[in-house]
Amino acid sequence: MNSNKKFILMITGIITVVIFWISWVSLNPADEKAMATFVSVDELLEDNITHRTKLGGLVKDGSIVISETNHLDCVFILKEGDLELEVKYGRTRPDLFKDGAEVIVTGLYENGVFHADELQTKCASRYEGDLRNEKSYNLSEIDS
Amino acid sequence: MTPIAGSVALNLAFGFSILTVLTLFLYNKNGDERLFLTGQRLALGISFFVFLATFILAYQLVQSNFDIDYVARYTSLETPVVYKISALWAGQSGSLLFWLFILSIYTTIVILQNQQKHNSLMPWVIITLAIVQMFFLVLTNYVTNPFKPTDADFIVSNGNGLNPLLQNVTMAIHPPTLYLGYVGFSVPFGFAISAMINRDTSPLWIQSIRRWSLVAWLFLSIGIILGGWWAYRELGWGGYWAWDPVENASFMPWLTATAFVHSIIIQEKKDMLRVWNMVLIIITFTLCIFGTFLTRSGVMSSVHSFTGSSLGPIFLTFVFSIMIVSFGMMYFRRNDLRSTKKMESFTSRESGFLFNNMIFVVMCFAVFWGTLFPVFSEAIRGTKITVGPPFFNQINIPIGLILLALTGIGPLLAWRKTGKKILIRNFTFPIITGLIVAILLLIIGLRGAVVISFSLGAFVTATITTEFTRGIQARRKKFNESIITALIKMVSKNRSRYGGYVVHLGIVFMFVGFTGHAFDQEKEFSLKVGESNHVAGYNFKLIQMSETERPNHYAWISDLRVTNDEGKFVTNLHPEKRIYFHRNPDPNRRQPHSELDIYTTMNRDIYSIFSGVDSENSVAFIKIMVNPLVQWVWLGGYILVFGTIVALWPRKDQ
Repeated sequence: MNSNKKFILMITGIITVVIFWISWVSLNPADEKAMATFVSVDELLEDNITHRTKLGGLVKDGSIVISETNHLDCVFILKEGDLELEVKYGRTRPDLFKDGAEVIVTGLYENGVFHADELQTKCASRYEGDLRNEKSYNLSEIDS
Repeated sequence: MTPIAGSVALNLAFGFSILTVLTLFLYNKNGDERLFLTGQRLALGISFFVFLATFILAYQLVQSNFDIDYVARYTSLETPVVYKISALWAGQSGSLLFWLFILSIYTTIVILQNQQKHNSLMPWVIITLAIVQMFFLVLTNYVTNPFKPTDADFIVSNGNGLNPLLQNVTMAIHPPTLYLGYVGFSVPFGFAISAMINRDTSPLWIQSIRRWSLVAWLFLSIGIILGGWWAYRELGWGGYWAWDPVENASFMPWLTATAFVHSIIIQEKKDMLRVWNMVLIIITFTLCIFGTFLTRSGVMSSVHSFTGSSLGPIFLTFVFSIMIVSFGMMYFRRNDLRSTKKMESFTSRESGFLFNNMIFVVMCFAVFWGTLFPVFSEAIRGTKITVGPPFFNQINIPIGLILLALTGIGPLLAWRKTGKKILIRNFTFPIITGLIVAILLLIIGLRGAVVISFSLGAFVTATITTEFTRGIQARRKKFNESIITALIKMVSKNRSRYGGYVVHLGIVFMFVGFTGHAFDQEKEFSLKVGESNHVAGYNFKLIQMSETERPNHYAWISDLRVTNDEGKFVTNLHPEKRIYFHRNPDPNRRQPHSELDIYTTMNRDIYSIFSGVDSENSVAFIKIMVNPLVQWVWLGGYILVFGTIVALWPRKDQ
């Protein structure tokens, strides 16, 4: 076999191994937290999905209840349109988590409650919104 | 008045870009030298008007002219001047103008540098760059104009202000460095396209873009590292890399660019891999545009759909056009791109480079696959599945370790073919070093990828040491020099080679840091003044909690006394809980922010976050993380930068 053929064979070999490896990890991720299906609250409730899911929505005003004992456990209502979902979360909350915040939660849905282990708020690098909704727009007389 | 001047400047730049392309097209048709000169000047004109527009926007930001929507959105009267200027790249339209600004700086340098050089290549180089400028001019003129006036139905007395997370020196430097990297690859890309059109197969143009590519690569590297540093210091989740789409957007072109700066050495020295290099620079440039698109269009942040921003379709069209035109051109020029020489042996430097290249591209593909997994899964199975860091880590750890191994193996291979004797001579010491480290780690009870990573690190360090000592010894024998003189002379004779080794050493340091991540520990708890808690061999006692009001925020400051298990004092940590815009009557507009505090040593970082406060009962909620070896990542970054500068430093005779 001449060296050129050997190289082509080897390169094909590498590509095959890589495709196999990537598909294998994609189908059997080692960590159960490696993947989550993005669903709407509607789909979650309707299909009663119990595997790991990701949901986006707004925190309902006044719905945040924080545990008096350890101040970490918290319950709030996630709103997506007219639908509401109770979410439990027990880790350090991001700074931007508050009433009306846009959040993405990841976790498992069990017995009517969503147990989240990840809670993300709208990221800083996408700090873009509609100016008309920005209430601080005429701030000068307040902040002086 | 002046905002209009900005818009006019952008309009003129757009007009000039059209004229530049037309003039140089004509020149290519009839070869009239005057047309070439005109084309060059018109191209400089594009850059001039872009500079003008950028300065006008910067000036408006500093002057707080809230009649401009962009200024009102990203700055307020209270914003410090530095951050008023950095607001230039804080938002979408501004950052696109800033991209264009950097591209214009590069274009100007290329034109001025090559007035007497590469005369056959330059027209097409300028055309390519002008077309890229034209694309960004279309965006800033007609899609998302930074000079757009504020809506006329209300008057703005003060702007929004810059997000406090972005009011940070690192965050002011990180985007420009990243952009200097992204945009820098336009120049090698322009040369590659021009070389194809001109059927120029000489290695000459490759030499002239090697430096450009290294500079762009250096900026991209610094940009990525600074981003990680900022995330680690500011965001408070205790890590520096999360495989976030925006991070991946910068990492993918970095991977292909790293492959490129390696494989152009082969083309320069051996005139091989012509096709491969062409593919790499096209992909790298495309990924740079794609990266800007991922970061700026909001495709990935809005988890719902592509429709959020009008930028998406335009960017994607541009990305596909680049690929179709470039690869189409490669097809038509396939005969010119055929290399005359072939690989001779597996155990050659050339094949080492080829392997390393393939692995880089493979890794890039893996990252690409994960980043767009939600899009693919939706197309194939109808459900949007997102993948998190565990997925990326699982896929990339083996690939990364292979790369690390190749970092050590490659430089020890000889050009063309490495004989058995030399193989044994070169590899004995490094392999033994690696094995000793592996055995020691196994004895102290470590297992798995951690052991492989550390021992490969030792192996690579040993190969680098061998290369240096062998070179120094050879010089000392020949010229009877002192060690220091021999070292300096050896490096300055072959800067790119030894600079490259230093970069490799930096990479080893970074891998040591990455590996430390396997030992991270964290704990969340609440403390009253006087109470303490225990994490990973350290004791944390809340000595006191104070409150203070500063110009733009209100802060609770904790005083944590850290002792080790023997009761010996380690340090005091003062993480803060801050409320920005604290005087705003609307509580929703007040923005809490946790300012963390880190105690750093080479062995480990003690990372403290003040996540919440109950001021009535004076209880602080604290999160502590003990992250081993993080410092090695940043140190590796410094070494990498130093090594690249050594490789780039011009020789006296050049």
